[in-house]
Amino acid sequence: MSASPLAQFLITRLIPLHIGRYDISFTNASLLMTIIVALITLLLVATTRRAALVPGRLQSVAELSYEFVAGMVRDTIGSEGEQYFPLVFSIFMFVLFANLLGLVPYSYTVTSQVVVTFALAIFVVGLATLVGLLRHRFHFFSFFFPPGAPILLAPILIPVEIISYLSRPVSLSLRLFANMMAGHTMMAVFAGFVVALGFFGFLPIVANAAMYALELVIAVLQAYVFAILTCLYLYDAIHLH
Amino acid sequence: MKEERPSDPLARLGERLDRAERRRAERQGKSTPGEGLGFGFRVGVELVSALAVGVGLGYLADRYIGTRPWGVIVGFFLGAAAGMLNAIRALREWGKSSGPPPSA
Repeated sequence: MSASPLAQFLITRLIPLHIGRYDISFTNASLLMTIIVALITLLLVATTRRAALVPGRLQSVAELSYEFVAGMVRDTIGSEGEQYFPLVFSIFMFVLFANLLGLVPYSYTVTSQVVVTFALAIFVVGLATLVGLLRHRFHFFSFFFPPGAPILLAPILIPVEIISYLSRPVSLSLRLFANMMAGHTMMAVFAGFVVALGFFGFLPIVANAAMYALELVIAVLQAYVFAILTCLYLYDAIHLH
Repeated sequence: MKEERPSDPLARLGERLDRAERRRAERQGKSTPGEGLGFGFRVGVELVSALAVGVGLGYLADRYIGTRPWGVIVGFFLGAAAGMLNAIRALREWGKSSGPPPSA
């Protein structure tokens, strides 16, 4: 069983817990998420508490990530977006650390679980919808009918726009989940060839080393994409079109 | 390095920063292969997810309202249209942010 390339995605209960009919056990995924949040907090608090004017290595990591997300929020949402900076920053750091920690051998990739990514995505899109509704009240629904379109097309355009809007959380979560799951499965499959090929086993090792580098790029890139799409959805909610 | 150096170290630093900035600006015009790959994947997912939502809604309508088989049929086409719309929007955004300006 452990030889299966999909075995790495198994959820195991570390501390079994049940409330009524619900299983709320503390699993390996929960453990990784706890570690992720603890690491982020540690990095940010420890490096900024004794902030030096000339930053050291860790402090510049914290400052770079802050400035990176701040610039992204400013560029995509504009000055009104500043109030959403904490949200975007939290999401970016969480996804980034989840992706990167998943690459550590013997750890677990929480973002390879569609439950996790979908929960994040539905939260983001739900929040963006709420922001739009609070800001524009009923005017928000004009989002589903592009201005200037002939009214005759409304019966087709409105359902299409609604489906397009509803597909946002699906595509947002699917992209992250599929990227992480596909990459990790591929690496496990290649690792399986190492033993099977005997002497030529060094070939898949070389391929895996290259793939590991690609996975690092994808881990960062997907965190960036997730964060920038969060910004875009918020921009849509604030400005409508 | 025997080039003519300004005596002030701050001015020298300024010069080096200027050079680095120029190099970065040159590099920014081109997109890296990783970026292109990620974007291609994004458009693909966009296309499929809208289709899935359309068919899913159609299926639910069929099941609970009893419009069988029209829900899935109509949902499929609306979903496909929504997927195209999503993909076109994503592509337009891409062109705006990094591609060459549209000629004519």
